[in-house]
Amino acid sequence: MIEVEALHKRFGSQVALQAVDFSIPAGEIFGFIGPNGAGKTTTIRILATLALPDAGTATIGGIPVAQDPHAVRELIGYMPDFFGVYDRLTSMEYLEFYAACHGVPRRRRRAVAHELLELVDLTDRADDQVDTLSRGMKQRLCLGRALVHDPQVLLLDEPASGLDPRARIEMRELIRELRRMGKTILVSSHILPELEELCTWVGFIDAGRMVASGPMSDVRNQVLTGRRLRVELVDPDEVKLLAARDQIDGRRGVISVQLVEDGLEVAVEEGFKDQDLLIELVRAGVAVRSFAPVTGDLSEAFMRLTGRPTEPVT
Amino acid sequence: MTYVERLVRLFDNPLIVKDGVSRMRSWRAPLVLTLYLGVLGLFGYSVFVALIVISSSDRSGAAQIGGIVFETMAFMQLSLVALFAPALAAGAISGERERQTFDVLLVSRLSALSIVWGKLVASVAFMLLLILAALPLFAAVFLFGGIDFEQFVITQLLTVTTAVSIAAVSLFLSAAFGRTLSSTVAAYGAAFAGMVGTLIVGALLSVGLLGRTAGQTVAVSANIHPLEFANPFYSMWIVLNIPNGAPMPLGRLMQMLAFMPGSPSSLGPMLEPWVATILVQAGLVALSIAGAVQLVQHRRAYVPTRPVEPIPAVERVDAGSEA
Repeated sequence: MIEVEALHKRFGSQVALQAVDFSIPAGEIFGFIGPNGAGKTTTIRILATLALPDAGTATIGGIPVAQDPHAVRELIGYMPDFFGVYDRLTSMEYLEFYAACHGVPRRRRRAVAHELLELVDLTDRADDQVDTLSRGMKQRLCLGRALVHDPQVLLLDEPASGLDPRARIEMRELIRELRRMGKTILVSSHILPELEELCTWVGFIDAGRMVASGPMSDVRNQVLTGRRLRVELVDPDEVKLLAARDQIDGRRGVISVQLVEDGLEVAVEEGFKDQDLLIELVRAGVAVRSFAPVTGDLSEAFMRLTGRPTEPVT
Repeated sequence: MTYVERLVRLFDNPLIVKDGVSRMRSWRAPLVLTLYLGVLGLFGYSVFVALIVISSSDRSGAAQIGGIVFETMAFMQLSLVALFAPALAAGAISGERERQTFDVLLVSRLSALSIVWGKLVASVAFMLLLILAALPLFAAVFLFGGIDFEQFVITQLLTVTTAVSIAAVSLFLSAAFGRTLSSTVAAYGAAFAGMVGTLIVGALLSVGLLGRTAGQTVAVSANIHPLEFANPFYSMWIVLNIPNGAPMPLGRLMQMLAFMPGSPSSLGPMLEPWVATILVQAGLVALSIAGAVQLVQHRRAYVPTRPVEPIPAVERVDAGSEA
């Protein structure tokens, strides 16, 4: 659905993008990840027809963005990283206004606005002025605004920035719901845990260059050797932990075992059967309280690729 | 499509509705309207009372008083319009940028022309409301006599076209400047130059032209420099004070504009000052709209929102190519 090839962009002497390329199949959620200033916003602005690349091509739905921006605008819903709202307009009027801007027929506008308010869970705030909404509500309303013309593709630039944890979860659920509706979604962030559970495809950008892109599992496997499992014990003490470590260490498929607080972290090869290890531990009398894959692999992948962490969740 | 449908479509622009609703819900709208009518009414009434005190009360005196009050109010309204129009239009596009709503407008189906047109009409609509609201004041003075209907209509028309032209130039400056403060300052500068600057410079040039043609028998009225000739204040003064007007051939106006020596040209149609004013204003409106559209289109392919910090790059691992 989205194809980006050898995109270059300079601003004066500063190189913003150098040969950026990636592709996103229809119906996927693509996490566009990189630190601030890496080139995420510039790439998204090019896709949103707001900037022209110096070289390279970007197509959406097979339509070249630079050559036919009008057709591309029909396909995309764009949510910028920073956006404002109009004073003295209600949520309903706000959506009706943008529906009119996108050419939605007058008789359909009210119904479209109602549907979108319901989707973003703001029906009870329909008659409230937009500037009285909380930041999270404004973000959701802005996402609703990006949907007024029912686009196939959504370009969401840092949609969860500045949101509290609850609002982040709501935004994440909303994006999942949009995928279920068949949208192809590009969502950028510099906060990895935010995207880790959400995305099916991923692209890492750093200093204007793509350092990795593809399906989430492929990128993870390519960058990280193996996966990690976390095993927590009931009433852990040093003796129990060492006994459990001895039980696991040296087993086929286990790369390494590390003692961590309350338990162990086990690095395993791809294809390792987690359940076999659990059965063996239980049979050996190890009191296991929890047994789960370690999340945060994406953060580690990013660190390995770039040599620096992304920003923590604030 | 009928002409009526075309006209309706011309004004069926979401920005006109949105800006109109937003403006009329603001506390500023009734305040500006009250101030405008208050200043105009008070000014007219003061002149009226002053004239009553110093003049006789016969019937011809009433017409004379009516004429003077109407004229002073018309000039006052023209000045107020020149004062309000930049404030209403100079933030139209720069305000969208400052509010960070402009990019979202640009990715909508609205063309650059629709955006500029919608913003212009929205700004002018409020000015028209002010002018319409003041009509009863003028109508009351009109009853005294001393002003005929044609003069009444032309003064109102000049006021409207002046409002539209100042708003259009202010809108262009709003598209050209990133900040509303800068565009407002520039718009006031442009309005002052157009309303007062052209009058002063035009008058000085007219005096200079009089000196150059001193050896020939040329009427003073044939030496009014185009800058002064097309000035709204001058043309309104002619409309209200010279019953037969003060027309000049287009050729003579061009001759003076180009500082071409020789005997006064009589080529081209005769133009009344108010017609010249409206033609110049129409040209300014067209140029301003075209310029603003260019600037808005340019914005579609422009600017990073944040400076890009150079950071050392790392090598690429391409999983996508294998996927």
